[in-house]
Amino acid sequence: MRLLALAALVPLAMLIGVAFGGAAIAPAALAHALLHPASGGDVATIVWQLRVPRVCVAATVGAALALAGALLQALLRNPLVDPYLTGVSSGAGASIAIAATLGIAPALIPPLGFASGLATAVLVAVLARRGPRLDPERLILAGISLSALLSAIVTLALERLARGAASESILAWLAGSLAGRGWPDLVAAAPEALAGAALGAFAIPSLNVLRLGEGRAAALGVDVVRLQWVLLIGATLLTAAAVALAGLVGFVGLIVPHLARRVVGADLRALVPAAVLVGAALVVLADALARTLAAPAEIPLGVLLAFVGVPTFLVLYLRGAARSYA
Amino acid sequence: MTLELERVAIARGGRTLLGDVTLALESGFVALVGRNGVGKTTLLRTMAGALAPAEGAVRLDGVDVRALAPRERARRIALVEGGEPAFTALSVEDAVASARFPHHRWFEWEPTGEDGAAVDDALTRTDLTALRARELGTLSAGERQRVWIALAIAQRAGVVLLDEPTSHLDLKASVETLRLVRELADHGALVVAVLHQLEEAAAFADRVVVLGEGGVIADGVPPSALTSATIFRAFDVAVTVERGPDGLAFHRRTSAARR
Repeated sequence: MRLLALAALVPLAMLIGVAFGGAAIAPAALAHALLHPASGGDVATIVWQLRVPRVCVAATVGAALALAGALLQALLRNPLVDPYLTGVSSGAGASIAIAATLGIAPALIPPLGFASGLATAVLVAVLARRGPRLDPERLILAGISLSALLSAIVTLALERLARGAASESILAWLAGSLAGRGWPDLVAAAPEALAGAALGAFAIPSLNVLRLGEGRAAALGVDVVRLQWVLLIGATLLTAAAVALAGLVGFVGLIVPHLARRVVGADLRALVPAAVLVGAALVVLADALARTLAAPAEIPLGVLLAFVGVPTFLVLYLRGAARSYA
Repeated sequence: MTLELERVAIARGGRTLLGDVTLALESGFVALVGRNGVGKTTLLRTMAGALAPAEGAVRLDGVDVRALAPRERARRIALVEGGEPAFTALSVEDAVASARFPHHRWFEWEPTGEDGAAVDDALTRTDLTALRARELGTLSAGERQRVWIALAIAQRAGVVLLDEPTSHLDLKASVETLRLVRELADHGALVVAVLHQLEEAAAFADRVVVLGEGGVIADGVPPSALTSATIFRAFDVAVTVERGPDGLAFHRRTSAARR
């Protein structure tokens, strides 16, 4: 079955991710290090302390963003929706920019970004309410306009800061990067990502029925209001976890669901797992490329994905991916 | 199985449309007729439990429909409205299979044998078996209407509410749809349909409820509910009603002053 084929893609991608990087490692040495983690030595250190954790973080980021994208596109019945619509990334970015400008301790910045990302998402949801329901159109408009406002704050902060570590860290965050990410970061972000994934998994049968339209789905027993909140919270948690780990990594949430749909079709019971697998594999491979192409320097992950993602997205759009929705 | 409306009032935008509507409906085909804007769709949605009445209550076998959990309500009441689906690439079969959702518990993701049988039965009765793999966006209006009715059949609900099932349909499609609806009633369901064509109501329904003047103008078998007097009160149009071998016929009075 196609889903199994995609499932095989992820370990393969991760193997490639571990094999390639700034320091060249011979296949034999790599195999030895993988099979004997406690053997010690430089290769084992590079593999187990640097690359394996980084590849795991990359897989998590890709999976989380792709899942958030698939869930939001299904909820809003709009294939052009990106998980950053919830306002998480712009909220996180703005607070990180302000914190950097004010010279706040670097260790405090990721949790600060996480908290403000969530707060922005809450604001977007409140603005999108119409009675008990969330209005899809309002959600999209609120998300876009708040994001624009917060991006302006980031730009202002960048301008105000003289050249230095603070502006560099903001720029690095804006470009998206997994540099320096390891097990502690993954452990910190894992609960949010898993909670978001669990909420998303619950919603899959209801989302399938939602394809008939909100009114019809409600008549068939879908609790639409509860579904909207569950998915918004789930997508927000997933996106916040990904942003905390990697900064602004674009296009994964937008295009991976489309790629997954091409392979397994539109039934969400297959589409959601497929999106998770493709997202994980994609970001692992992209990060490997980012580390290898210009070694020893790293191309920012977000930049690499943009160069690959934009043409892919345009091709998909022009070939009518958006036409499935009335 | 009884659907009771007890002193139901419905309002839209702060304005009361219908008040003091009291009806007891059992199995059979009930037609709802009245002018555009009188509140037929709103009343139908209130009967389905999708909207709360401004006053009064709708009860199914003694239980307030608003008190039922969403899936429980969907197992017992089907609401069929026309129109487009959000996702046009959905296949007919997948769309009809969605109607089995109320019968699943939250962890049941895979269809059961009973689901398959219900879907096949619904597709057969609506003559959609040949179209099962087609995408909804490629269907004609008549075919799409049959899909919505197939959903209601697969849902296996005892109460089926249809909002204007024959509007936008040509003569053949209208007749086929009404025959299908009639068949549902003959199988023991309570079917309530909003109809615009009085001839259709007279020919297919067991009972006609005429709405207007802020309430129920008439309620009974077609010959007694659809008279010149009631039609004039409801539609402000003078007609003569003729009883023929093929049923009731309604002729608009073009000669003589209306009043």
